[in-house]
Amino acid sequence: MLQYLIKRIIGIIPVLLVISVVVFGFVRLLPGDPARIAAGPDAAPSDVELVRQDLGLDQPVISQYFRFMAGAFQGDFGRSIRTKRPVSEEIGSRFMPTLWLTVFAMAWSTVIGLLIGVVSAVRRNKWPDYLGMTVAVSGISMPAFWVGLMLMSFFSVRLGWLPTSGYGTWQHYIMPSFTLGLGVAAVMARFTRSAFIEIFREDYIRTARAKGVPSQGIIWKHTLRNALIPVITMLGLQFGFLLGGSIVVESVFSWPGIGRYLIDSVSYRDYPAIQALILMLSLEFILINLIVDVLYAVANPEIRYK
Amino acid sequence: MLKNIKYGLAAGAVSVVMALPGLAFAKTLTVAVQENIVGLDPADVNETLSHSAARTIYQGLFGLDGQMKIYPILAEKFEVNDASTEYTFYLRKGVKFHDGTDFNAEAAKINIERVANPENRLKRNSLVSMVNKVEIIDTYTIKLVLKEPFGALVNNLAHAGAVMISPAALKQYGKEISRHPVGTGPFKFKNWNGDVMEVVKNENYWKPGLPKVDGVIFRTVPESGARLAMLKTGEAQVVVPLPTEMVRQIENDKTLSVINEPSIVEWFASMNTKKKPFDNVKVRQALNYAVNKEAFCKVVFNGFCTPSDSVLPSIMQYHVKQEVYTYDAKKAKELLAEAGYPDGFDAEIVAGNNTAAGRAIQFLQQQFAQVGVKLKVQQLESGVLSSKVWSAQTPEEATVQMMYGGWSASTGDTDWALRPLFWGKGFPPKLFNAAYYMNPKVDEALEAAVGTADNNKRAELYAIVQKEIQQDAPWIFLGVDRNLAGKAKNLEGFVLMADRGFQLDEVEFK
Repeated sequence: MLQYLIKRIIGIIPVLLVISVVVFGFVRLLPGDPARIAAGPDAAPSDVELVRQDLGLDQPVISQYFRFMAGAFQGDFGRSIRTKRPVSEEIGSRFMPTLWLTVFAMAWSTVIGLLIGVVSAVRRNKWPDYLGMTVAVSGISMPAFWVGLMLMSFFSVRLGWLPTSGYGTWQHYIMPSFTLGLGVAAVMARFTRSAFIEIFREDYIRTARAKGVPSQGIIWKHTLRNALIPVITMLGLQFGFLLGGSIVVESVFSWPGIGRYLIDSVSYRDYPAIQALILMLSLEFILINLIVDVLYAVANPEIRYK
Repeated sequence: MLKNIKYGLAAGAVSVVMALPGLAFAKTLTVAVQENIVGLDPADVNETLSHSAARTIYQGLFGLDGQMKIYPILAEKFEVNDASTEYTFYLRKGVKFHDGTDFNAEAAKINIERVANPENRLKRNSLVSMVNKVEIIDTYTIKLVLKEPFGALVNNLAHAGAVMISPAALKQYGKEISRHPVGTGPFKFKNWNGDVMEVVKNENYWKPGLPKVDGVIFRTVPESGARLAMLKTGEAQVVVPLPTEMVRQIENDKTLSVINEPSIVEWFASMNTKKKPFDNVKVRQALNYAVNKEAFCKVVFNGFCTPSDSVLPSIMQYHVKQEVYTYDAKKAKELLAEAGYPDGFDAEIVAGNNTAAGRAIQFLQQQFAQVGVKLKVQQLESGVLSSKVWSAQTPEEATVQMMYGGWSASTGDTDWALRPLFWGKGFPPKLFNAAYYMNPKVDEALEAAVGTADNNKRAELYAIVQKEIQQDAPWIFLGVDRNLAGKAKNLEGFVLMADRGFQLDEVEFK
């Protein structure tokens, strides 16, 4: 297992190198001139030229890439075109808000989603199933910005219980993490339900029933472990997506997170920021995949890696 | 990376203190804004919001009031020679920077030279790039000697990009001045992190009795519904900008009020005058007749807009009301027939990808259809749009037939409202003449006007320019929109500026 882990971790390096080339090339293929955008919509041409030199964009692309990589190896991703602060600082200050929001949203939605899913599967085609799935479908179909604004107008404007938006105290987390987790909980519920139903059909469940294992034992011992494999895969994916920051939730609740930063950076053609963000998001996905693979083995001891 | 995460945590802890709701009883003003403040070195940023925030901390030799009229701040008066090449400024005495150092001729010289020096690569270099040298006459008098005559220098010095920064702080922080601003303004910098910037009262402010609030907090709230909610809960006392569709909600709330001021943003559809069929002036005039400008204002800006009566917005200096193209579809058809297009033609227009721009070009499409012109509309992301419109190196390379957009002169000066757009030597990529408009009379007047500081002469010249442009119609002249903000009713002294910025020097809670 340890050997397997080391092999996987070393394998990350060439992947990141390839991603760095692709990202570096692609941001430069985006139409739009960062120097003109940074200089402002009504900047004089001489000002645009000054900005271009200041940003080092007058240099050949190849030398720009090597300068970027040389810096990246030392943890220096350059300075943001927009704010002129080091990109690593900009991302650093937005990473924790997004991480915590993701953790809270995932925590409640996983528990609730799993429970709804299990109950729906066990009471299939009875009222708890219909109720659970109705809730799940509503959770998927309600647009996040609408839910966010509704919560805000009720709990902040009408009742005055929670701050409308912003980042800071624990109260600030409630509405954004609820809004963000809603979709995940719904997907979780549907996913768990179908995984359970599939496994209920397996021969070993029938055998367990036949030899008289109590139904609680069948659900939690025989079914859950097996059903967890697809559920963990799904959780890993959702976690990765949420870590990229939700643009909608972050905008509605003015959350100082990664999602808004990425969008702002793209529309500003902030090359260093886009490069660093995409590299970071790729690394996150790679790591989450690795963790998911390890979790498979934990959930199902039959899976072993060499 | 780990270090940075720790830094993020510490910063988060600081913002806990600042983001507590319900600070209305304290005399700190919270302003909820849409965009992020990107930097506090005003000479190196271009966003109106960053400039508005910086103006709480810094002041210039001159300033602009809500109507973009110049008034003296750190300079008391100025003299200019007849050739408009030498300006002498008499500075205010007894003003100190927040760090306790004196504001004087030496400080002014250092600041102007900093922006003027191209090696510093500041984005607002062009504001003072015509300055050849700065001479210190005495402790409170300086003389600017220019490379060439320039009539709008005082306007440029009134721009936020030319404010006075403490020379001691410039020396200490260098390029990091953007994070450690030290000026002479009514508020001192306290803290800025991501979405929140805070300034506190300058106890030693040189204007007695001001400021009247303990401090100001700027909070970035991108969603307009969330901004409105903050105003309703009292978490913010000003929200700016205010989308037109939310005006009604504020008017219905007894504790809130709407600020509704004219802007200097002129909205237009430019036509490439070098391309068929727009090379024919009759076609351009016909399209001006084909569009109902009152309806445009209603459709695009919910009525918070005035049909344009000149290429210059009406509150700009030297504005002269022109004979407008009153909506007349019949006349438009006649003109099109005279020009050889009795059955109309096909054309294409590009615009940005925001909702209002979408409404605008669809409105034009519908209006054009009435006179037989089939308009294809295309909305583009802003970076794509700017490279499509501005990157053509020669007029022949230009692919854009029509473009919808708005222009506001950030210096508040008439030169910058006209020359970038209509000067025959200002085709892209040099300046912004996307209509590829060229009229020798206009060129001559624009050049003469920028070379003199004589107001009467400039007024005469700009009257000619406006008249010529109105007749030649390189644009469809559409409208000038209103600037809107929402505020708590008990807040007074908030100045919404015509360029979409705002001033907080005199705000107070009644």
